[in-house]
Amino acid sequence: MELSTILTMIFVIGVVVGGLGFFLSRAVKYEKLKAKNGED
Amino acid sequence: MKQQEFFTSRWALIIATIGIAIGTGNIWRFSRIVAQNGGGSFLIPWVVFLLIWSLPLIIAEFAIGKSARYGPVGAIAKTAGRQFGWMGAFIAFVAAAIMFYYSVVTGWCLRYFLSAASGSLFDIADHLIYWETFSAGYQPLMFHTISILLVAFVVLRGITKGVEKVTRLLVPSLLIILIILLVRAVTLPNAVEGIKYFFTPDINIILDHKVWLNALTQNAWDTGAGWGLIMAYAIYMRRREDISLNAALIGFGNNTVSIIAGVTIFSTVFALSSVDAMEQVAKSGPANTGLTFIYLPMLFEKITPSSTLNIIFASLFFIALFFAAVTSLISMVELATRTIIDFGVKRRRAVILVASAAILLGIPSAVNMNILVNQDWVWGVGLILSGAFISFAIIRYGVDKFRREVINGYGSDVQIGKWYNYVIGILVPLQVVILISWWLISSVSWEPEWWNPFLMENAGTVIFQWAVVIGFFMAFNKLIVNNTLNENQSG
Repeated sequence: MELSTILTMIFVIGVVVGGLGFFLSRAVKYEKLKAKNGED
Repeated sequence: MKQQEFFTSRWALIIATIGIAIGTGNIWRFSRIVAQNGGGSFLIPWVVFLLIWSLPLIIAEFAIGKSARYGPVGAIAKTAGRQFGWMGAFIAFVAAAIMFYYSVVTGWCLRYFLSAASGSLFDIADHLIYWETFSAGYQPLMFHTISILLVAFVVLRGITKGVEKVTRLLVPSLLIILIILLVRAVTLPNAVEGIKYFFTPDINIILDHKVWLNALTQNAWDTGAGWGLIMAYAIYMRRREDISLNAALIGFGNNTVSIIAGVTIFSTVFALSSVDAMEQVAKSGPANTGLTFIYLPMLFEKITPSSTLNIIFASLFFIALFFAAVTSLISMVELATRTIIDFGVKRRRAVILVASAAILLGIPSAVNMNILVNQDWVWGVGLILSGAFISFAIIRYGVDKFRREVINGYGSDVQIGKWYNYVIGILVPLQVVILISWWLISSVSWEPEWWNPFLMENAGTVIFQWAVVIGFFMAFNKLIVNNTLNENQSG
């Protein structure tokens, strides 16, 4: 595979799938925090 | 009106909203557009526009819906001022107009799933003739009606017992099926060639403005940002619910699904097709159906040496398409229903009205492909105008005030910074002007009679149909807004 292909793959998957993973982990964290504080 | 029904949890809201965003466009339109725009070269601008078009508008829709607790008419009237309620009516109308033909497309997916599951799809010698015979007959009308009735039944049961329950089942099932298909596709011999094409950029193509405009258009159509559908679901968010983080999950989640679908389709086509692989993926076919309904069924015949397994893989593909279509169609029917509920009509009566109108007004697209293509063209571009109206409403309200009081208000997990003011106040309107101008000017070059409102795909038909709808809603703005914002609605 060419270097440009690998770099594009890292950029696209990194931003999109990485972004999803990052925000999902934040959402889980805040949801746990809200449950702990008994917010409804 | 006091809001009485809510999504029961953050995850239920996210799953339902992801169901809006993930539609048939992620699976068939995305792959075709990637192929037509140089593979990996397209993906870079596509990611950029996720950040500067889709995300800001998804945040805006969540915030407007949650704060106003009205469908688009009331929400835009409350945010931008009563004199602009017609913009909300236009947003609702565009989503409804798309619903009329999208249910036809949903019906096609259901029909092809049944053909695949019964094995009859593989008894066919010529898939193009099979498609043409099917689409010219009475079956599209029948499956369109079935699709609308199924979805109307879901919406009739309300948000928690209907929309939430069904999307909790369909969206995870869809994701599991896509992952199964992805695993099969990337393990095919020569699949790596497809993956290479999908991710290899060409600097000359990246510098072509058309690739950027196509990437923006794909984002506008693909994520559901600016359609008003997310706004309709946000009405049912609990007060404690966050806006920005949830919006990010929808945008990134939707584009992740597009990548999964893209890798699956490119791997399959390159592994199983002859030298004309790229030509086949890029081919539009009748109503842009070429890849999905004509070419892929041929490939599924040889995806494994076992004919039983091939039937299973083809069935999984078409049921995934059907699930993707149904979860989006549910939101379109809910949006139209909610708009009528805001007039003081009970949900049951509103659903019956919407379903009857959808069945009737979908008939032309079900029986005549040219009408479907025309409506897809007119209201597809209309979505960009819907996005503009949402952005305009926030500018009228005060961008910074909206960010501080509404987006970063009660329930917010993360605080959105001042960058949002510039994106929604300047970048989004700029993108709208560029995109609409480009689409209309391009249509002048491919159609000499660009001004003729009675042709299928030109500037004239877009301007004419938009003008009729906008003129009507502007003329009756006072009546529409007063009836929506009275305090006697029945929820």
